[in-house]
Amino acid sequence: MLLEVRDLHVEFRTRDGVAKAVNGVNYSVDAGETLAVLGESGSGKSVTAQTVMGILDMPPGRITAGEILFQGKDLLKLKEEERRKIRGAEMAMIFQDALSSLNPVLSVGDQLGEMFTVHRGMSKKDARAKAVELMDHVRIPAAKERVKQYPHQFSGGMRQRIMIAMALALEPALIIADEPTTALDVTVQAQVMDLLAELQREYNMGLILITHDLGVVADVADRIAVMYAGRIVESAPVHDIYKAPAHPYTRGLLDSIPRLDQKGQELYAIKGLPPSLMHIPKGCAFHPRCPMAQDVCRTDEPPLYEVTPSDGERGSACHFWRECLHG
Amino acid sequence: MAEPILQVSGLVKHYPLTTGILFKKQVGAVKAVDGVDFELEQGETLGIVGESGCGKSTVAKMLVNLEKPTAGSIKYKGEDITTLSGKALRTVRRNIQMVFQDPYTSLNPRMTVGDIIGEPYDIHPEVAPKGDRRRKVQELLDVVGLNPEYINRYPHQFSGGQRQRIGIARGLALRPEIIVADEPVSALDVSIQAQVINLLDRLQNDFDLSYIFIAHDLSIVRHISDRVGVMYLGRIVEIGKDAEIYDHPTHPYTQALLSAVPLPDPEARENRERIILAGDVPSPTNIPSGCRFRTRCWKAQDRCVHEVPLLAVPPHLRLLEGPQAHDSACHFAEEKQVVPAEEPE
Repeated sequence: MLLEVRDLHVEFRTRDGVAKAVNGVNYSVDAGETLAVLGESGSGKSVTAQTVMGILDMPPGRITAGEILFQGKDLLKLKEEERRKIRGAEMAMIFQDALSSLNPVLSVGDQLGEMFTVHRGMSKKDARAKAVELMDHVRIPAAKERVKQYPHQFSGGMRQRIMIAMALALEPALIIADEPTTALDVTVQAQVMDLLAELQREYNMGLILITHDLGVVADVADRIAVMYAGRIVESAPVHDIYKAPAHPYTRGLLDSIPRLDQKGQELYAIKGLPPSLMHIPKGCAFHPRCPMAQDVCRTDEPPLYEVTPSDGERGSACHFWRECLHG
Repeated sequence: MAEPILQVSGLVKHYPLTTGILFKKQVGAVKAVDGVDFELEQGETLGIVGESGCGKSTVAKMLVNLEKPTAGSIKYKGEDITTLSGKALRTVRRNIQMVFQDPYTSLNPRMTVGDIIGEPYDIHPEVAPKGDRRRKVQELLDVVGLNPEYINRYPHQFSGGQRQRIGIARGLALRPEIIVADEPVSALDVSIQAQVINLLDRLQNDFDLSYIFIAHDLSIVRHISDRVGVMYLGRIVEIGKDAEIYDHPTHPYTQALLSAVPLPDPEARENRERIILAGDVPSPTNIPSGCRFRTRCWKAQDRCVHEVPLLAVPPHLRLLEGPQAHDSACHFAEEKQVVPAEEPE
């Protein structure tokens, strides 16, 4: 297994109290596999990713428990210096907002080249040549001329390609993409997702795709982990989850999106709001919004039950997953 | 059929580009909206879709008179509102209200919810409730599904979805006939989006509203709209009933747009044809001659360079009289199914 996150807990100490952002997350990704982490804002999907990358702001963030095994090594036990060597070279991240992730006063060539001068000790000239090669690879037209340009001279889709190029530069084994296409238009989104999928196959990388878009997930993911209030509530192969969700939250999400191929009646809406991370409800965190909630849901936190039958490993953190699956 | 409540024709908005500081010289123009025509019937929802920069938000701003059009007319019940001023303009504005995209920046953080929703009454005292304004505001809060006791709270005490409800309540305060909603749900989480869309649906029935619904999300637009117009680079390239556009698109741009939307169905990914467009949208300062989509179109020929295609039912499709016979601005319009047909259950 390329990456295994085990029982990760992250909290933030704030003036108003402790916000429990991640509460016992487990997931794993293999080489060549795409794991989609799906969740709404505040579900902990990005905090988990930042913790894996080692770019979480600490303080106010604090990792209170858990292990992150990357190629067998527990990253949380490494010194910052060792992690720095892994970051960028072994695992890389693509952010949502390419414009604010790129340095506006350096040319894209300098920023791409930096990967090689810092990590590989290349000369500036060789690094520049590598940068052009990378830009070609992510299909930026006229790479040789554009390598000297600055981020504001590129369109949104092109900037995201540069981010992808930068992530790929040192051929990492794992890429974490946090909402990589959310800021892009649909036609450009399709171009960028296609490129990412193609490069993943080419390099046989593991890919963690963090998103809130059920459509994007269905298009590219092998497995899905659905997060709610800092926990994974359902984890399954992609085909299973769309055919028959085994958690009422997943079911609610799937029912609440309008469909392009159907003129719907009234949309199903999950009632209420996601909980505050300072006051996560007792028992199952979803129970105040759940149409299936019983007394046991208010008192006992559900473990991740194994769901059968399935094409692969499948789990649901719902006491009534059977009813949900067949309901 | 009755007269449309809103008739837009030849609407143009150009922003001049100038050089020089003291002696400004116009060197060009950003052609944000470049000739848009449509009609809105009483009680219907017209969806307008398009990618960023296509001019859909500029159209919205002109409809509520936040921007003055460079040319063209907007007729509300037969009267051109672009030439109105003073009292006559105020009356029209009262009847056309807007709901904005970003619920975080469109509400004044220093005003209570009660003041935000009640403020329209200061500007339009003729429709302000006599006497108890507070109770009227509380009624509005109730209508949009918020607790009327929240009237003294400030915007920061609400979540994104709740704030959008406040924005909608403000839009409803003057009992308008038309609501222009510019990306009203795109800043919200999936589970909250559905709540707000259902609310907009319900309000339309309760108050007999007509909507202009602008969004980039094609699935949401289909859900809420009776008719849909697709915009590209300042123009509507195809317009028709929702099934005509989604199930029988004839313009290549609409087809590409629809084929690019990810469907929440992993079974569909293998048996679906994707049209991936080459390149980016051209700059609105330098619009291609002829058909403005030709630089990215796989069907483009010589004719497209020289001849601007008009938004009308293409002659060769008119004979068919089927759902494919709707307005499409393409010389080579041809039906192509890109959204997999719904499987019978």
